[in-house]
Amino acid sequence: MRIAVCVKHAIDETELKTGPGGRPVLEGAACKVSVFDKNAVEEALRMRSAQGGEVVAFTIGSEDARKSLKEALAMGADRGVLVVGAQASLDTGRTARTIAAAVKKEGAFDVVLCSEGSSDTYSGQVPPMLAEALGTAYVGYARKIQLEGGKAKVERLLEDSVEEVEAPMPVVVSVVSEINEPRYPTLIQIMQASKKPVQEIPESQLAVDPGSSPVAVLGMSVQTSSRKRVIIEGGPEDAAAKLIQELEKEGVLR
Amino acid sequence: MSEQVWAYSGSGEVQCELMSAALELAEKSGRSAVAVELGRQREEVVAQSRLVVKGAGDDPLPEVAAEALTRAARSRHPSTILVGATRNGREVASRVAARLGWPCLSEASKLSIDGAQLQANRTVFAGKVVATVSCGLPAVVTIKPAFYPKSTASGKEVDEFDAGELTGVVKLLSRRKKEAGAVDLRKAKAIVSAGRGVKRKEDLPMLQSLAEELGGALGCSRPLSSDLGWLPEECHIGLTGVTVKPDLYVAVGISGQLQHIAGMKDSKVVVAVNTDKDAPIFQASDYGIVADLYQVVPAIKKALESRR
Repeated sequence: MRIAVCVKHAIDETELKTGPGGRPVLEGAACKVSVFDKNAVEEALRMRSAQGGEVVAFTIGSEDARKSLKEALAMGADRGVLVVGAQASLDTGRTARTIAAAVKKEGAFDVVLCSEGSSDTYSGQVPPMLAEALGTAYVGYARKIQLEGGKAKVERLLEDSVEEVEAPMPVVVSVVSEINEPRYPTLIQIMQASKKPVQEIPESQLAVDPGSSPVAVLGMSVQTSSRKRVIIEGGPEDAAAKLIQELEKEGVLR
Repeated sequence: MSEQVWAYSGSGEVQCELMSAALELAEKSGRSAVAVELGRQREEVVAQSRLVVKGAGDDPLPEVAAEALTRAARSRHPSTILVGATRNGREVASRVAARLGWPCLSEASKLSIDGAQLQANRTVFAGKVVATVSCGLPAVVTIKPAFYPKSTASGKEVDEFDAGELTGVVKLLSRRKKEAGAVDLRKAKAIVSAGRGVKRKEDLPMLQSLAEELGGALGCSRPLSSDLGWLPEECHIGLTGVTVKPDLYVAVGISGQLQHIAGMKDSKVVVAVNTDKDAPIFQASDYGIVADLYQVVPAIKKALESRR
């Protein structure tokens, strides 16, 4: 079984600084692996334990993106592929076509796993677009995956219903965080991860179609919170009484 | 015929919301807004003009819905296709964009058309930043459910398109609706939301009764539904859960991770109860009480009761 798993080296929103004009400082901003991707890595590792085979982690970005690959390798992925020169952006189509080209270059995979969306932009578009670019089946929002006889039986978690579907392999599957509890790598695993192979592919080698019309970011501004931030002092009874008074004034009590 | 702005969602309710966005965009740019429905006309969809796409059947899987829309778009050439960003909707939009070779904007608001460019706002970094994005037309755009009000503009114009035979490789084995009785938090006027500060599942009824006293419902942060399983996923408020905007949001024992804030930041008034005075939730609140929730929650409830 050959399993690919996609991880995003995402800007850490908790560390994001505000620069001149209320713009976020993206240059040199701290990045980390998109937290939901750990569920996809975990599922890939569980598949490998059950079926045997290889888990290859893919990411795109600068050299710094090696950090996110290293997280996947420390958890247990066998090797990593980093597409350098490309940047995951709000142009989800381009991102998906770039990952697809890298996955194709590495040969045929039975399963490609992604998380439902990334912690930074959360568009949820790359997984289905990736399947389209690879020409494979796609199942989104999986909370349970069973592989058997060249098919994937998947339980999909939707807003108001749960579906069970069957898809032929190869298949791209996006997982929800309810699917598993990602493991924490041990210190030894973290150290060993540095020795696992990571292959770099320059984006220029992949001949990615830029698309008819790229999605451009015209500007960004950090949201300022207009909350009152009043801390109500006093013991429980006093504080509760004061709070009720305030809420009454706000007109939000029935 | 003027160029059309299409609105599609598998959910009738979301489709009515999309029609508001479609009408707004259409009026601004001299286009017309059309509700696209698959299989049949649905009563719950209110629209002046609709296009019924035959061939996909009722409630198709997203793969088939995408192909139906793709074929209709190839034949009718709309300028924009708005799709509700539900879980299935995100897949439909992504596939349609990939098949047509169109750009795709996601979770858009404040849509406008300038010449051949489509412009929109969207939040990124868990709601911390608003980005203004643009792309050329034609384009696919996803729109968050419950962001726009439902359109009430109705009419009788109906057009049909036969998409021909449609098949997909994914097979539906079973579909079951989640248990009824679960409260729709998106419609709640007041929400009490529980976080990791709640020590035991057995303590949740205390918060539930506060929610009832406020005339609202109980929600939670991600760990309580996803990791601990104390509450169903429908109760999970946040980036990957439901987005809510009640009049009153009471965060109890919630630290205030950005992923949680992303799901409740549009609430009218926010109250936080937490023992940690440095918890980020207080920065996102109107009123904060730094204290033990096990003392404060009963006190609030008592104060509410004595008010009646």
